Amino acid sequence: MKKSNNFFIFIFIFFSSVSIYSQFFENLNSSFESYSAYYMDDKKTGDFNQEDRFRSNNYLNLKSNFSKNWFFELQVESYLPKSLLNYSPNFKNTNISTLKIDYIKNDLNLTIGNFYEQFGSGMILRTWEDKSLGINNSLLGLNANYQLNDQIKITTLIGQQKKGFKYSKGYVLGFDSEFDLSKATKNNSTFLLGLSYVGRDDQEGDNSNLKSMTSLFSARVDYSSDSFYTNFEAVQKTNNPILVFGIPSETFIKKGSGFLINTGFFKERLGFDFTFRRLENMSFYSEIQSAGNEYNESILNYLPALTKQHDYSLTNLYVYAAQPDVNFYVEDLMKSGEIGFQTDFYYLIKKDSFLGGKYGTSISLNASLWNNLAGEYNFSNQSYETNLLEFGEKYFSEFSFEVRKKWSDNFENIFLYVNQYYNKRLIELESGIVKSNILVLDNTIKIQNNRSLRIELQHLSTKNDYRNWYAYGLEYNINSDFSVYFNDLYNYDNPNDEKKINYYNFGGSYSKGMNRFTINYGRQRGGLVCTGGICRYVPASTGLTFSVTTSFL
Amino acid sequence: MIKKITSILFLTTLSLNLSISQDKIPFMNIKTIEGRTINTKSLSNKDGLTVYSFWATWCVPCINELDDINKEIEKWKEENVKIIAISTDDSRTKRRVRPMINGKDWDFEIFVDENQDFKRALNITGIPHTIVAKGSKIIYRRIGYKPGEENILYEFILSQNKNSNEKI
Repeated sequence: MKKSNNFFIFIFIFFSSVSIYSQFFENLNSSFESYSAYYMDDKKTGDFNQEDRFRSNNYLNLKSNFSKNWFFELQVESYLPKSLLNYSPNFKNTNISTLKIDYIKNDLNLTIGNFYEQFGSGMILRTWEDKSLGINNSLLGLNANYQLNDQIKITTLIGQQKKGFKYSKGYVLGFDSEFDLSKATKNNSTFLLGLSYVGRDDQEGDNSNLKSMTSLFSARVDYSSDSFYTNFEAVQKTNNPILVFGIPSETFIKKGSGFLINTGFFKERLGFDFTFRRLENMSFYSEIQSAGNEYNESILNYLPALTKQHDYSLTNLYVYAAQPDVNFYVEDLMKSGEIGFQTDFYYLIKKDSFLGGKYGTSISLNASLWNNLAGEYNFSNQSYETNLLEFGEKYFSEFSFEVRKKWSDNFENIFLYVNQYYNKRLIELESGIVKSNILVLDNTIKIQNNRSLRIELQHLSTKNDYRNWYAYGLEYNINSDFSVYFNDLYNYDNPNDEKKINYYNFGGSYSKGMNRFTINYGRQRGGLVCTGGICRYVPASTGLTFSVTTSFL
Repeated sequence: MIKKITSILFLTTLSLNLSISQDKIPFMNIKTIEGRTINTKSLSNKDGLTVYSFWATWCVPCINELDDINKEIEKWKEENVKIIAISTDDSRTKRRVRPMINGKDWDFEIFVDENQDFKRALNITGIPHTIVAKGSKIIYRRIGYKPGEENILYEFILSQNKNSNEKI
């Protein structure tokens, strides 16, 4: 508490002292976001039995490019009286979440304070903010970026990682270099090479048998020409204790690794992409103890699920999250990582052809397959040896086919078919495998004066788990500012009549320029909620939610 | 005490902002689709307006907006507008960007803001988000996209071009 007092005094003094320089305020821009909820009891999904039915998350961000080379940023967050459901209890009251000063001159960019950084694809380091997931894992310290010349870029950093409003006890240090070797290639192609290092020292997790330092080394190459690209990244991670029943083991200590190969080609109206990835014991946290925590706190690297990111509710019932961890639960449930691939294909059928019609028709295909690593697992000895390229038990597979077609100036639709295989036992430690087929039809009808109507129809069929679902949604855009909607998800085929619940939601939004207001009333389904490849569990809830977002620039 | 100071801070800064505010495209590094680092300084259209559209491969309304603009791209080009689509896809989905823009035959300049530094610097809270700038001066901003809004944007550009022609 004392610390935060000092923070505020510092900020106050800072503001008052610079207020004489009108420069600061002339170049100030800010944004404000507020998300609130009032939770209610619900006969179907259960009573709300926690403290504080009304909860609110608020974010005020101020930025100023107050002199030619100086840039200031402050973000104050307020969780009053408590944070929304499923946000870490470490977010409480009002406090400073981001405070930084950048000095930018020519090719040098120096930051003191909270900063976000990513090395390569993020496999060894990514700090970022995602308010919807409650992630803000910035580092507090020093970050220096230097563009040596056209060909060489260097980044060095050191800091402590943010966790709620607190910071990790140990520190993180990093180095990244990127070399642009395109000049060495004869034609007009790009050739980039990157080398990075990240080290984490966790004093807290230190015990007699192991070093507190864990290091990750990475090398990457990136090549692209006019119609083809390929890139490769390899990561090695030094010894790190595995959590056994939530405690870092003194004997079960393993190295980790990650490989990613991506390639694709494209030409007019056509694109193809393929990615292979293998991860073994690759999750990386600033505090060993935090591994696998439900709020994704203290996470240092970014290992998203490489599957199609869906936008429709039924396609998000059984979502795959990447499985980079080592987990020994029981004799027949041991995991050490994942291996698999994803591929995408896009094609635009020409305008004025039989299938293309007046506007052309867009087609896309996606397929992905992810498995556990095959190898020798020994539960009683707490050990394993994996085979490099062998696929173990299947976690997840998906095939999807999407057609987007505009029929006339006023009518267009999207048709989507998805076939999913989801190993609930291996991913969620529950029983069963879910094989499902999903159909989506999304229609947009434009009416005069910027009015439009969107009708969404979805069906999921499966003989497993809770069986079949349907969902539908209506969205009416009254004009370019106002919009209202109603949607409903219903598990109509659930063998247990009590569990046949309508997850209905209705609400509206108003957006004008930089301001947006939304209001919603309804039931939220409990389960896995995923954004940007990161997922977390949320319990079911019923209530009224509203949000305000605005920026002044 | 903390609450008091914070509320004072909130109010003063908010009110200051309403009266005086900055409206420029910040100069910073983003990446080309090939992965090269460039400065946003080099993006703006020397002879006309620049439209910055923030999107992602997984954002259905964003794709609807860009698809709708692309269907009538010739008419936009006649107005001397430069359309820049800034992908905010992170490493989960960024590999889809190149195949997708070719598969859709989009005729825009595409750049990648992978860790969302440019988006954050512009205080963008959600996508789709569209900005129109004259040089580096921001003259129009909008959150979200509803079918038909591309026409409002087009009308705005026409009116701006008309105004500047009249001045000449």
